[in-house]
Amino acid sequence: MLSLSHLALLLCANLASAARLTVSIPPSPPLLPNPSTLPPSTHAVLVGPPGVHYDVPIRRDSTFVFPDVAEASYLLTLHSRDYFFPPLRVDVSKAADESQQQTIQAWQTFRGNEWDNKGPHYGSGKGELQLQIQPSGHKEFYQERGGFNIIGFVKSPMILMALVSAVMIFGMPYLMDNMDPETKAEFEEMQKSSPLTGSGGAANQIQNFDLAGWMAGKGTSSGSGASGGGNSKKR
Amino acid sequence: MFLPLIAVPLLLAGSALAVFTDEAWNVDYHYALLGHPKQSTSFFHQPNPSSRASLIFTLSEEGVLGAINPRDGAVVWRQVLLPGASAHNASFLRAGEGQDVVISGIGSQVAAWSAGDGRQAWSLDVNGPVEDVEILELVDGKDASGAKDAVALSGGDHPLVQRLDGATGAVKWQHQLGGTDAPYQVSASTTEVFAISLHKTILGYLKLKVTSLDPVTGHKTDEHMLSSENELATAETIVTVGANSASPIIAWTDSAHSVLKVNIMGTKGISSFEIEKHDGQAVERVELHAPYHLNSLSHFLVHYQTATSHWAEVFHVDLKNGKVGKAYSLPKLSGRGAFSTSTSDANVYFTRVTRNEVMTVSSASHGILGRWSVDGFNVAAGEGEEIEPIHAVSDVSVRGDTVSAVRSAVLLSTGDWVLLRDGSPVWDRPEMLASTVSATFASPAEMETLVQQLEAEAHSNPIQAYIHRVSRHLHDLQRLPSFILSLPQKIVQGFLGTSADGGIATDSFGFHQIIACATKDGRLVAVDAGNPDKVLWNQQVADLQPGQIWQPSVSSPRGGVIEISSKASAGVQYNASSGEQLASILPIDLAADQTAQEVKYTMHDGGLEATVDSSTTWHFMPTSGERIVSLVPRPVNDPVASIGKVLGDRRVLYKYLDPNLALLVTANDAARAATFYVLNTVSGAILYSNVHSGVDVSSPIASMLSENWFTYSFTAEALGDSPKGHQLVVGELFESLVANDRGLLSSTANYSSMQTGTEPFTLTKIYQIPEAVSKMAVTRTRQGITSRQLLAVLADSSAVVGIPYGVLDPRRPINRDPSKDEQAEGLVRYSPVIDFDPKWYLNHQREVVGVKDVITSPALLESTSLLFAYGLDIFGTRLSPSFSFDVLGKDFNKFQMLATVAALAVATFVVAPLVMRKQVNSRWQFM
Repeated sequence: MLSLSHLALLLCANLASAARLTVSIPPSPPLLPNPSTLPPSTHAVLVGPPGVHYDVPIRRDSTFVFPDVAEASYLLTLHSRDYFFPPLRVDVSKAADESQQQTIQAWQTFRGNEWDNKGPHYGSGKGELQLQIQPSGHKEFYQERGGFNIIGFVKSPMILMALVSAVMIFGMPYLMDNMDPETKAEFEEMQKSSPLTGSGGAANQIQNFDLAGWMAGKGTSSGSGASGGGNSKKR
Repeated sequence: MFLPLIAVPLLLAGSALAVFTDEAWNVDYHYALLGHPKQSTSFFHQPNPSSRASLIFTLSEEGVLGAINPRDGAVVWRQVLLPGASAHNASFLRAGEGQDVVISGIGSQVAAWSAGDGRQAWSLDVNGPVEDVEILELVDGKDASGAKDAVALSGGDHPLVQRLDGATGAVKWQHQLGGTDAPYQVSASTTEVFAISLHKTILGYLKLKVTSLDPVTGHKTDEHMLSSENELATAETIVTVGANSASPIIAWTDSAHSVLKVNIMGTKGISSFEIEKHDGQAVERVELHAPYHLNSLSHFLVHYQTATSHWAEVFHVDLKNGKVGKAYSLPKLSGRGAFSTSTSDANVYFTRVTRNEVMTVSSASHGILGRWSVDGFNVAAGEGEEIEPIHAVSDVSVRGDTVSAVRSAVLLSTGDWVLLRDGSPVWDRPEMLASTVSATFASPAEMETLVQQLEAEAHSNPIQAYIHRVSRHLHDLQRLPSFILSLPQKIVQGFLGTSADGGIATDSFGFHQIIACATKDGRLVAVDAGNPDKVLWNQQVADLQPGQIWQPSVSSPRGGVIEISSKASAGVQYNASSGEQLASILPIDLAADQTAQEVKYTMHDGGLEATVDSSTTWHFMPTSGERIVSLVPRPVNDPVASIGKVLGDRRVLYKYLDPNLALLVTANDAARAATFYVLNTVSGAILYSNVHSGVDVSSPIASMLSENWFTYSFTAEALGDSPKGHQLVVGELFESLVANDRGLLSSTANYSSMQTGTEPFTLTKIYQIPEAVSKMAVTRTRQGITSRQLLAVLADSSAVVGIPYGVLDPRRPINRDPSKDEQAEGLVRYSPVIDFDPKWYLNHQREVVGVKDVITSPALLESTSLLFAYGLDIFGTRLSPSFSFDVLGKDFNKFQMLATVAALAVATFVVAPLVMRKQVNSRWQFM
């Protein structure tokens, strides 16, 4: 499945000393224990100078074979449905003299960096090079909906606050009943004196606020006019 | 209420735009297609020799090799061998008996593919077009269990016959066919390899030259000419060069189809048979069906087809004396027929598929072993169109002397590929859609009738309108009983969340749009986007000669109507829902004609010319050495909700909005540069231009323009310290870059691009992307309020990705973190690389191969845009770039809501007496 656009000319020139590149995918246990599970649409692409472009499909032994690669600097990318593979730079350079074979070298390369910024060296060979590339990640296509989660729901601060106050409301009377009389008296004393809940406390004042009287221009009353025994009860 | 409002921009900023688990496979649909299968390259074959299960293999006209599961018609695997192939490309597919590979030959490549999983076993470039591939079924004795070798015939300047090792693809021997004869086919018997080439005589007639080769060494053992008479004028009347049978044969007819001549390969004798005439009609087509196995009986069937009927004759080859004799004939039946050959041990069976029945006969005698009637093929076809079988491949299961079952994969005249099991259709693959060249969305005609009625009421006088309305409502009342009856079911389904989307008539969200596809072979096929499992209608709209190419364009001029036009003909309109052809007299919209002036664009001498009222207004001439690659105008229907961009501090940047914008791309092949221009299409002014050097102009350059922004992508070569790879450029046009300032336009209420030449301020950003983009599109919604998504087709990953605009935004700050205000807008710091998040893959795990174009259409819901991608595969989905804010999606848990209400109700009833008691108690205690 070689896409030969302008390749024929280049090939003719280099037919005598064609460079062969073999890329294999080894088993890489946590991510891809068995490379033979890769779908047959997995393919490798070598992008060379304008017009030079090779595309080969995966073989039975999980390799990609580029039988003859012309002299140039290439970007090698592996495309698979389920995995990411790191991009590589592959250079096929001219032999020193006619009798020798071309040199193939491969490095990791980094997208968005200048082309000369090479990463780890993957290997080099004369006339032939075998590379191993491991997948760098699995493709996660799906977004889970944030479904209803009872633990997460209970953990949220609002629910926690509501629960604590529920415990206070329902639990306090029993707690008070079970207290021995001295502690109870002490506690009641403490409540009276506290600025928030005591009879002269802010909360009580607000609760017993006489809106009608205030609107009528009366001064703040001591709260005796408030109706409803439940509100002014003292415990 | 406040909380969700704050949450929305936060969510938008994150990369949460994704395919949800519960929506994947449900809202999207995909036809994994192969293209029109060819008779010669389709067969049943067992991928694993030890098991009986077989797959259907085919190498289609579109150059796609695939394996189909005969049980459900699903693609097991496929490989695109030659992108952009057509029926003209010669292609071959062979499978050896008991082999686990299939061997393909197309273009200049011979390759072996693992039959079970579709991985390549080997491939070989044969330095010339492949003319034929055969498998050597030699009984060597040495490697009987190993892979069988292949023989390949290649053309070009030096025609070659090569024997390829079955395991590695290495060339074992090659034989050069000298001379100027055109190589035609290769064939093999148990003892010899035959190469057949066509020799042209001085008078222009063809002679068949048979070269016999030794299969072990490749040396020539014999060579002779056939057909001394002037019968063969073209290669088209050669019926077959049979292969891989006990006695391969060559058969041909004269151009009038009056005589059939048969030669047993390796001998010089020619048997001649008169083709009898039926009803005085000329025989249009002669086909020969022979078994493909060495050890099967050497019987063959010849199929004759006239315009209205077909019949067949079965011949036997006597191996001892090398004679061919007619055994029996199958009766003439009207219509077209398809014959297929299957073998079981040495026995040969012929299966005949006609529009009414399927029957199987043995090659030995004319007794019918199995006969099943066909009650229709269960595919959509045009009004009054007779569905005919074109060709078939069959798998026969034989029990004793009778045929117990027969499965036939039949290509129909509608372009569907169906499997008939004992005469009843099991599955159907709409392969005609694989050659879609143009497509459009159209709203269903049912939806339009209400619109028309309302319009009628609006335009008539009040009394008439009132009567019309009352009668319409009375008419609607007739549907009330059925509606009430269906109500309980609807409610239950609504609770359980199992409610299937209703039909077209009850579509309130606009998801049921009709997609009309014009195919390469002159058919118009409609699919309902809301119910894509079935083709709605399918009919022949153009009568094309074989090999004739048309360039149709499909559009929807108004709701419920599809218009198809091509260069040769004016538009013909069809009803979108039924496919009925409408009157070809087009209503003329007077209002539109008076106000708008048309600007026409034509390519002229490599430049672009715009004319208004037949006078040229402007020219665009690319500089020397440049050619125009593409011109992408702003979509006609491109609503914009806001004329400005609101910044984080509530100030506004005004967008440069002009309905007459276009993005023009030119390429310079010599300088390897690409230039991108934003043009005003009325005045011809260049509003923005940019040159990129080191561009691979032979790879696709995708471009797109919408609203006030444009984008393009290309593959760049490393120059100096620049990176190599694929790049995506985004540009946004503003009236001014100062907030709250409209620049020169601030003082004018109206403006014309003919008079004032205001130039936009353009911000651009360039990003590195991991792979090439072959086509771009943009989502469209009804009002344009929803944010847009760039849709990019990735050919290498076989995917369509939806890139949120926030990722591409050219206003992303460089070298600094975004300020508070920018954060509020959702801007993030610029990074030069955009990695396509797999969650952006709209096709998720599906592989959408060979997409040529993507079209989008707004749904009735503002949040939703419909997408349809075509090319080889058909893929469609619904997109909500800003989430489904106006509809309760699947994420809305109805059960949870009901449970909460119920829990609250229970709590109220339980707590109420408690509270009551407490209040009573407290009063008593206080007193």
